Amino acid sequence: MQIETNTPIVKQKKTRNWKRWAIHLFPIPALLIFSIFIVYPLVAALSYSFYDWNGITRGAFVGLANFIDLFTLQPFSNMFWNAAKNNVVYFAVQMVVQNGIAFVLAFIIYKRIKGSEFLKIAYFLPRLLSVIVVGFLWKLILNPNFGALNVILGEFGMESLQKAWLGDPKTALMAIILVNCWFGIGFAMLIFLAGLQSIPKELVEAAKLDGANGANVITKIILPLMVPSIMIMTVLTFIQSFEAFELVYAMQGSQGEPYYSTDLLAVFFYRLAFGGSAAGDSTAVGLGSALAVVLFLFIATCTALLLKYMQKKQVEM
Amino acid sequence: MKGIGRIWLLSLMALMLIVSTACSNESGGSNSDNNDEDSVTLTIGSWRTEDSANYQKVIEAFNEKHPDIEVEFKPSKNTEYNTILNTSLQAGEGPDIIHLRPYAPGLELAKAGYVEPIDGLNGLDTFPDETLQASRGEDGKQYGVPLNLSTTQVFYNKAIFKEHGLEEPKTWDEFIAINEKLKSEGVTPLAFGTKEGWLLSLAHGIFGPAHLGGNEFVEKISKGETDFTSPEFVKSIQVMEDLKEYFPNNSEGLGMEDIRTLFFTGQAAMFPLGSWEIEVLREMNPDLELGFFPMPSAVGGEPTLTTWVDGSFGINANSEHKEEAKKFLEFLTTEEFGELFTTNFKMISAIPGVQSDNELVNELSKAVSEYSTPYMMLVYFAGGNPSSKVTIETELQGMYIGEQDVDGVVKTLQENTEAWFEPFQ
Repeated sequence: MQIETNTPIVKQKKTRNWKRWAIHLFPIPALLIFSIFIVYPLVAALSYSFYDWNGITRGAFVGLANFIDLFTLQPFSNMFWNAAKNNVVYFAVQMVVQNGIAFVLAFIIYKRIKGSEFLKIAYFLPRLLSVIVVGFLWKLILNPNFGALNVILGEFGMESLQKAWLGDPKTALMAIILVNCWFGIGFAMLIFLAGLQSIPKELVEAAKLDGANGANVITKIILPLMVPSIMIMTVLTFIQSFEAFELVYAMQGSQGEPYYSTDLLAVFFYRLAFGGSAAGDSTAVGLGSALAVVLFLFIATCTALLLKYMQKKQVEM
Repeated sequence: MKGIGRIWLLSLMALMLIVSTACSNESGGSNSDNNDEDSVTLTIGSWRTEDSANYQKVIEAFNEKHPDIEVEFKPSKNTEYNTILNTSLQAGEGPDIIHLRPYAPGLELAKAGYVEPIDGLNGLDTFPDETLQASRGEDGKQYGVPLNLSTTQVFYNKAIFKEHGLEEPKTWDEFIAINEKLKSEGVTPLAFGTKEGWLLSLAHGIFGPAHLGGNEFVEKISKGETDFTSPEFVKSIQVMEDLKEYFPNNSEGLGMEDIRTLFFTGQAAMFPLGSWEIEVLREMNPDLELGFFPMPSAVGGEPTLTTWVDGSFGINANSEHKEEAKKFLEFLTTEEFGELFTTNFKMISAIPGVQSDNELVNELSKAVSEYSTPYMMLVYFAGGNPSSKVTIETELQGMYIGEQDVDGVVKTLQENTEAWFEPFQ
């Protein structure tokens, strides 16, 4: 590699200065797009959150009042904490169910059982669907009176288990999270599989020669070497859980029905910034911007901490 | 080269001179002879993208009388209409004719000075006072010409009623007896579900007035003479809970499409919903024998049919063609337009006494003039954030799934409304 890059530089010594300068121009288009579509909205949301809003007209500068309202004014503070709690459940269940199952599946495929190539594709398939389509599909399956799930339960004589899955606050959130797990398992599995395949075979063989049994190989060799991909999935799952919106919106609407039991922070944000599902419902741009800022800061901080922790882990290894 | 360039320049200037005189001649000519004035183009802003073809017919009919006024119907997506309209109005632009949302949201624009008052417009007196109220500002000025009425009532399957020997109820007790009989004979009485909040305030709008005592209560509460903690209102919420036993199984998980399917497939006998469903039901099952009845009163009053204006047309205060826009609004008050509207749009025209080719729509239009009561939560309580209407929806939903009780619904609704509704403060 080194030799390859060295030779052309020697040849083009005359134009080197100009090229060195010109190379800084190349990121400009990307930087421009980044600034217009990411940096500007972020700064704008931050500034909006300091103003009083009357519909979509900006009122007086109110300092931190929007932030204080968000945490203390009813019914917003209740909605905020309820949604935040649901987000935490969302993250926890995703970590255990989605990533747990994905890890097992990845291990099975790694072991090259019969038909593992087919299984790999089959598990990844849901990921190819649009989230809105997934929502629609599962809404049909979970429909209490016509849906496949309740019909199957009935066929097997388990009528007592039949439920309005999406209408009962006890099951609605869990149903949505599990649908999201079903949707996300394929992707997590691929990440884990890539991690497994990057473990040198010699290491495992050497351990086996030294008398390590199956469980030892997994806990002492494979898991420690998998830490990078586990950490990547943790960070991705974290970000995805706290930004989750589409599935709830597709299946339960912007009110997080029933009775806010499937409300998430991003859904709450949507309601504040764009009004509820009812056309012409009033908006609260100031509160919405404040929530967006809080959400951004929270996700950014936690992600940074997670990444830092992950680096430390890797060094320890 | 230079010489040629000069010649070109000279001839170009000459050409421009000729063109400009020709132009001024033309416009001068048209001023003296009014028939051929420069044609004006009016634009109409609306959220009804699905009605574009129908509005084209309306415009054609208008052009038969006013061939000199061109009209363009430029709708934007329902959920984005408010934002697009607000932004352009703030910039001093926007369509000449504005489709105003009914009641509070539309009047907010008028309050901000973006809508031209149209008091004294020819034809406004065609409409009853309560219809005009949907676009009348706090200052008492009229800002819009009402377009259509929506009603909510209980639809019923005539075949099922006949099979079980039932008739339209004349009292609340008869209504409950019908429900009991259907239930005991194995038919789901009411096709209704509580998964989607908006259906709940809508159903309260149908069943509530039977216990509230209709218009008298609405008048009192809108002035702040009574509030949501009054016994009548508490009773109306209690009734909503009592009706649950007549809903289908798993009603907490059923949404709009589910309950519509239950009804048009004949699995449930009654369907408490809005007039806009008539056309959908007919498409889904053309053989369905559809009937409706106004809600009989439980407190000895008149039966009620819940009605509201679903939109009005107003004039942009910044429009350059106000006179022409007024001509268009005048057209919207004519019977000719009313008939065109009911026939093509299959909705109830706000113009009284207009006939359509759909018998059920005709019957509804007739009943509206006899029994109408406003959809109170929409007409008076759509303000606040979250609005009182959304609050009652969520709280009722909480009640149906056992997370809230009747008193809790009333208390939350009252507190929410006190925060923004001036007569309550």
